[in-house]
Amino acid sequence: MKKTICMLAIFFVSTALFAQKKTTTSATVAFDATTSLDALPMADNKTVVAALDPKSGMIAFEAIVKSFSFKNPMMQDHFNSDKWLDSDKFPTIVFKGKITNLKAVDFKKDGTYLTEVKGDLTIHGITKPLTTTGSVVVTGKAVSATAAFTIKVDDYGITNKAIDNGKVAKDPKITITADFK
Amino acid sequence: MSLKPTVKKIIITAITIFIIACCAVWYVFTVKFTDTVKEKADYAVNALDLIDEFKKNDSLANKKYAEKIIAVTGVVTEIEMADSTVNIKLADTTTGSYAIFAFQQQHLAEAKTIKEGDKVTIKGSCSGGTYSQILETEYIVFKRCALSK
Repeated sequence: MKKTICMLAIFFVSTALFAQKKTTTSATVAFDATTSLDALPMADNKTVVAALDPKSGMIAFEAIVKSFSFKNPMMQDHFNSDKWLDSDKFPTIVFKGKITNLKAVDFKKDGTYLTEVKGDLTIHGITKPLTTTGSVVVTGKAVSATAAFTIKVDDYGITNKAIDNGKVAKDPKITITADFK
Repeated sequence: MSLKPTVKKIIITAITIFIIACCAVWYVFTVKFTDTVKEKADYAVNALDLIDEFKKNDSLANKKYAEKIIAVTGVVTEIEMADSTVNIKLADTTTGSYAIFAFQQQHLAEAKTIKEGDKVTIKGSCSGGTYSQILETEYIVFKRCALSK
């Protein structure tokens, strides 16, 4: 009897631990808006907050816009200005979504799993639906996730001459990587 | 064939303006951020005081600190490392609120020598702070960081 109770206790504790939301405060979001005319518009943000709930498939991230780091100071100033991301007015980029093929991911077994993610991405104060593919890598207790997709900047109300002239891509590539704890 | 002095002057002036314009464009497109170690800090603060200031009113704190170079002193509570990233956290362990410092490329090696529990002063460009809906706590982010010597 005692043995059965112990086994049940271990099962419930491990299930509860497994079901806990996984987070990181050091996810990376990189974007590449370079074109053949300009190799400067690219940056990354290495202090993004991200979360993944293995039980529900919820996946989310929050990035502070001013934390995108460029090599070129002028480019960084432009990025934050009211003609681009307007980071004083819209200080964060937020994604909230779900892994829609959660059954394809076994968080208890090491492996690389292809995922489909659907959610809402908010940039520049405008929220648009986003569907993309990504991957989840399980190695022991460690779980990492990556996804890459493109967005149309005019969907998010970002339009200006540099985009029209082909110096900045109309559809920059966004890459997200997160190592969850 | 000799050019009139006035025409000569115009040509020389035009060439000079063209060269200066080329240099200015070249400078603007190739300039990089200064090594943070060489930059003077606009503020020197204790990590817990800084976190408190953001928690009390992050709009005011963002106006004061965002895009400024700040030297922050505190005890390292966590180190998050990946291949090309070393992020050092100074957290308020009672509330979970934290300041996080992403190191400048040339200072990654020194960041890797830092251990949890070390008392450090880190200088970096403050990207501002906000309340995280995910973590349900306040956090402040720094980029281009270096150990302050």
